[in-house]
Amino acid sequence: MMNNLQRIQPPVFPVEKVIIPEAKSFRLNNGVPVYTIEAGTEDIMRLEFVFKAGQIKESLPLLGSTCNIMLSEGSQNYTSEELNRSLDFYGVFLNQSAEKDYAGIVLFFLSKHIEKVMELCREILFRPVFPEPELNSLMRKRLRWYMVNREKVQNLAMDNFFESLFGKNHPYGYQVHEQDFEMITPSLLADFHNKYYTPENMTIIISGKIHDKTTDHLNSYFGNMALKEIKKENSVNFIKGEKIKKVHINKSGTVQTAIRIGSTTINKRHSDYPGLKILDSILGGYFGSRLMKNIREEKGYTYGINSSLTSLDLTGYKVISTEVGQKYCQKTKDEIYKEIRLLQNVPVKKEEMAVVRNYMSGEMVRMFDGPFALAESFKSVWEFGLDNNYYYRLADKIKTIDPDEIIELAKTYYNIDELYEITVGSE
Amino acid sequence: MINYKRFSLDNGLRVLVHEDKSTPLIAMNLLYDVGSRDEDPSMTGQAHLFEHLMFGGSVNIPDFDTPLQLVGGENNAFTNNDITNYYLTIPSENIETGFWLESDRMLELDFSQKNLDTQKSVVTEEFNQRYVNQPYGDAILKLRPLAYKVHPYRWPTIGMDMAHIKNTNLEQIKKFFFSHYAPNNAILALTGNIEYELAYKLAQKWFGPIEKRTVQSRNLPPEPEQNEERIMTIESDVPATALYKVWHIGARNSNDFYTLDLITDLLAGGESGRLYTKLVREKKLFSEINAYLTAEIDPGLIIINGKLMKGVDIHYANDSVNEVINSLLNKKGIEDEMEKVKNKFESSTVFSNTSILNKAANLSFFELLGNPGLINNEVDAYRKVSYSMVTEAIRKYFIPSNCSTINYISTRKEK
Repeated sequence: MMNNLQRIQPPVFPVEKVIIPEAKSFRLNNGVPVYTIEAGTEDIMRLEFVFKAGQIKESLPLLGSTCNIMLSEGSQNYTSEELNRSLDFYGVFLNQSAEKDYAGIVLFFLSKHIEKVMELCREILFRPVFPEPELNSLMRKRLRWYMVNREKVQNLAMDNFFESLFGKNHPYGYQVHEQDFEMITPSLLADFHNKYYTPENMTIIISGKIHDKTTDHLNSYFGNMALKEIKKENSVNFIKGEKIKKVHINKSGTVQTAIRIGSTTINKRHSDYPGLKILDSILGGYFGSRLMKNIREEKGYTYGINSSLTSLDLTGYKVISTEVGQKYCQKTKDEIYKEIRLLQNVPVKKEEMAVVRNYMSGEMVRMFDGPFALAESFKSVWEFGLDNNYYYRLADKIKTIDPDEIIELAKTYYNIDELYEITVGSE
Repeated sequence: MINYKRFSLDNGLRVLVHEDKSTPLIAMNLLYDVGSRDEDPSMTGQAHLFEHLMFGGSVNIPDFDTPLQLVGGENNAFTNNDITNYYLTIPSENIETGFWLESDRMLELDFSQKNLDTQKSVVTEEFNQRYVNQPYGDAILKLRPLAYKVHPYRWPTIGMDMAHIKNTNLEQIKKFFFSHYAPNNAILALTGNIEYELAYKLAQKWFGPIEKRTVQSRNLPPEPEQNEERIMTIESDVPATALYKVWHIGARNSNDFYTLDLITDLLAGGESGRLYTKLVREKKLFSEINAYLTAEIDPGLIIINGKLMKGVDIHYANDSVNEVINSLLNKKGIEDEMEKVKNKFESSTVFSNTSILNKAANLSFFELLGNPGLINNEVDAYRKVSYSMVTEAIRKYFIPSNCSTINYISTRKEK
């Protein structure tokens, strides 16, 4: 037996340069843009239809998300039950989502079923009928889900955080109330659908082992619809955060307090964004981050704490999130601010820089591993009118950023006086 | 078809390797054959607490995460009633660091009082976050001891009492390590951009020198057959009344496992499942309803749970669930539905196996079951289920004397 093995770390090899396959692009006969990424070893595909039809477009709360959910609740040729049964029969996974800016559907399926999938997608996207009984039933269910979710300190904290950041009147910010569930009608949904789920407002993203007949099928199901001119919308909805920066919401009987600390910030279009992403990672973006090491691994105040950076069309935001034992709430907040101040004043040591650089390089490899990850990474720059150059700039910044730049970024973007602080728990 | 090779080291470590050159990454999954079922009833939650301690440094490496992050890797772990499972993904050029890290913490942990104290606190916060500070969070904690009276599945992985965690000391932790963490009690799977020869060489080099250990033998008391219906009522200030029902089933390796899996899919596999169609869509009794198997190695449970719509009587809801289950005994339309759930099972298996991490976890777990070939044969096993197998299983398991129910009643006044 080799008992003389030196148990020291094997050589560390730099993570090789990330290779990002370029998406191919073309247009359907009517001009709808399509992006394709060929990848993977199995005969499966991911097909996404994206529309600029998120919450930002809604005239009242829940309209955007309800319209999206109701797409699969009955169409001209299928009842909602038939649609769902058919999707299940062909082993198709359908995800519907309405985010702050974009909304749409994503389907995962075995490539051989492509034609059936296209037919069902056309029903879902362009022939929904928004039947009233299904709508009423959905709204009653959603109200129940909402009431359960509002019991959870983490949801209450996040809802209030968005309201503070973006304001009570902005679709990014307003909270949903019980009475909102009674306001949605089939005609409101039909109007929203007519306006925003249109071929001129649509982009298609496909990845996987792409079936030979994909373009033909896309054209026959979606390439004949006439594209209208996109009307310019004049109403500009300004984001205006609430004046009060610190909010505590009392929720009696809870044993943990949810904390959210953050503010609006730059988004991916800004040249400082890659650097800020690295700063965010050091602070709370991975398991070895300062917040995680200090507040979980050193002090045991929480099961988890993290910070994250999110890009939106009109702005971006950063948020530090955790749930801590009630008695640790003040101490945790103090430590969070202490960690931010340290980043503003003390250069990050070489060793820690090496860890975060290499961890993030590994993350980049994971972001482009396989057809599903590739499509998601593509979409998350496409949404901002960007391309893979964003990732190359990020990869470059990960290798070259120096500790002084981190300090500058921390001073510019983590002004403690500008941070909102939301806590939800017992007094 | 997922091709894999397997070998064993002299110390008993079993290794499985699947090469997938389409990815620049390697997934490494190390399964230890120890879970909360192996705990002393007076010291529950140890297996899971121990999982936390595994990140606090080992005999030659003061900190697990940092060197892994330094080579672009990422990792996590989970514990359940049966196993403790550690996994990481790493760019292929740095795979040896993965071997170095995992083998060192198998060799011996750095048993530090400070780490133990911190992780006891972290686990307590985890317990609060998951089970105390969530509406309905305690339901699953109460469901297990209702269904199991004897077998260790009667307590949850996190522990049945946080006092057990609080009272754990370093000596007990050391004893736990040396009686469960051993090469002859572990399974290593490597998937992704790794060649078999390299995997073999590195496994020999890093795990080979670790000596075989005497593993605590498993001698669990079987759960006696349940012979009367059990009903528990919980009143709580939650937004809606909820219903939880469980029935005992056989072990993971028993013949009717896939039949039961298929039955839960008929009932609740997606929005076209019978429970959803009948009770959410048509009768509007529930806002959500789900059915699944615990899929544990020893005899497990079928769980059905749902949240009721406002004003619905819990007994009526309960009867309606039983009615939907019994409707499967009527042959009309069932063949189409069986074909549907079989297609869905097949496609979900294909999707799951696009991930190297899933492949590594599945290979390890199926090896533990004594049948690594399941990674390629599960779809067949599921496809072979016939209508008569479905009716037989329903008649055998879905009987009142085999059932435990929690009526989780909302005490909140509705506006």
